[in-house]
Amino acid sequence: MKYEMVAGFETHIELGTKTKIFCGCTTEFGGEPNTHCCPVCIGLPGTLPKLNKQVVKYAIMAGLATNCKIANVSKMDRKNYCYPDLPKAYQISQYDMPLCEGGYVQLSNGRKIRLTRIHIEEDAGKLIHERGDTYVDYNRGGVPLIEIVSEPDIRSVDEAREYVEKLQQVMRYIGISDCKMQEGSMRCDVNISVRPVGSEEFGTRTEIKNMNSITYIAKAMEYEFERQVDLIESGGKVIQETLRYDDATNTTSPMRGKEDAHDYRYFREPDLVTISVTDEEIEEIRSSLPELPESKRERYVTELGIPETDAQLLTKYRKISEFFDEACKDVKNPKTVANFIIGQIFRTLVTESDKEEFNIKITPAQLSELVKILESGKIRNNLAKSALDKMLESGKNATEYISESDMAGLDDNALAELCKQAVESNPNAVADFKGGKEKALKSLVGFVMKNSRGKADPTAAEAKIKEIIG
Amino acid sequence: MITREDIENIALLSKLYVPEEELDALTQEMQNIISFADTINNAAEDGTEFDNINNLSNAFREDEVVPSYSNEDILRNAPDSAQDHFLVKKRA
Repeated sequence: MKYEMVAGFETHIELGTKTKIFCGCTTEFGGEPNTHCCPVCIGLPGTLPKLNKQVVKYAIMAGLATNCKIANVSKMDRKNYCYPDLPKAYQISQYDMPLCEGGYVQLSNGRKIRLTRIHIEEDAGKLIHERGDTYVDYNRGGVPLIEIVSEPDIRSVDEAREYVEKLQQVMRYIGISDCKMQEGSMRCDVNISVRPVGSEEFGTRTEIKNMNSITYIAKAMEYEFERQVDLIESGGKVIQETLRYDDATNTTSPMRGKEDAHDYRYFREPDLVTISVTDEEIEEIRSSLPELPESKRERYVTELGIPETDAQLLTKYRKISEFFDEACKDVKNPKTVANFIIGQIFRTLVTESDKEEFNIKITPAQLSELVKILESGKIRNNLAKSALDKMLESGKNATEYISESDMAGLDDNALAELCKQAVESNPNAVADFKGGKEKALKSLVGFVMKNSRGKADPTAAEAKIKEIIG
Repeated sequence: MITREDIENIALLSKLYVPEEELDALTQEMQNIISFADTINNAAEDGTEFDNINNLSNAFREDEVVPSYSNEDILRNAPDSAQDHFLVKKRA
């Protein structure tokens, strides 16, 4: 029998606010242990939380960017569990009245992964287990999180990967989180089950907790899919349980803690008042959102005539697309700008984070000046390319590397003179050509191109050379 | 109705040890507390939406950093500490 994968995601994203969700301590990553803390975030009795306004705004932005409906009224709740990473023995989260509900993320295959909800909550502290002891650092405790819960709409590892990448891309575009999985500012729990292809019913699911790399998510899902299929095929039954993925062995194994069995005894957080957001406030936030990658990509393809794959590269990170938009402003052909960015500029940006930061020495206006010179027909593409390479090194303007005489163009007499020189100084090539080697002509044209600093029109040069050789 | 099992379960979730001989008394006490809180259910409903005593909403804080406490102060009440961390027994 053939089986299909059914998966849903719970994605935690740390918001990029300056301060924690309920106190004024910094959210800066790292720092000496327990130095970004105060009585509120270490849960001392008698302290009161006060909700960070920016957290609500960022969460609404996340909701709007993923097509959610924003609740006019929502509230905070206590989720009770006893573990040292939570100094109050409860986490302040949202239970039955989350801030955002019912959105979706659209994949490139056209499928929509529905979002159940997005809610706000506080992050827990960090535990380091050593021998029989646990060392606790509460710097991360109280850092604001959004949890994005998807419906079980994901059907393959590829879809899972794209879903996570899309979320990451959108959240970075709107600037609410750096979504650095390796630093833990984006983490995923995956609910996964299998069912015979064609079946409408869901199988029993397991949950793989707390993964912080797309590669591991993919591997864990592959492993877990195989494990469940093998289990069912051999007559066994999948048990609903929480699993941990071990990247060293590439296996999943049950986490202990059955006693917790999801008995969180949620109740309303009595120390915090209702959150209410008016439609006007929601619309104001909506209008402040930047153009999202999906809409940019579509616009590049349909309005600017950029090929799909190039449009994807240009919209991958916000800074690239903003540079492109800026540089395109008054050029005739945006495709030329795109080619320079994807060719020349990308070559100087080695890693993905280089591309994301897009820290280059020239401004969009400088690139656009170069493209305009090229479009005026005064110089050829090769000269423009080499000028751009030099500009990227020095940060200087195109006119530093393209002289007046470069732009003066090449009149017919000058071309004829250069072609004559080419024939005279390359007797071997001429002989080869006369002997039937068509290729030899290329080296003669090359001579003309080189000595005209790329200004000559290669087709005209070829014709002229043939005429001289006779 | 609160049962002995409820008390046992809550004790387990709260990591509290409750001696067998105290279970009945605790069950009764908890029942009294819940009954007292239940009084609110018997309040006459006049259709007013009740949210909180002052009907407040949106008590927000601006996103401005205030200095945190020193590591020494933070650990001052810790039952045990080592290497600038709170130190607790490892729990499964």
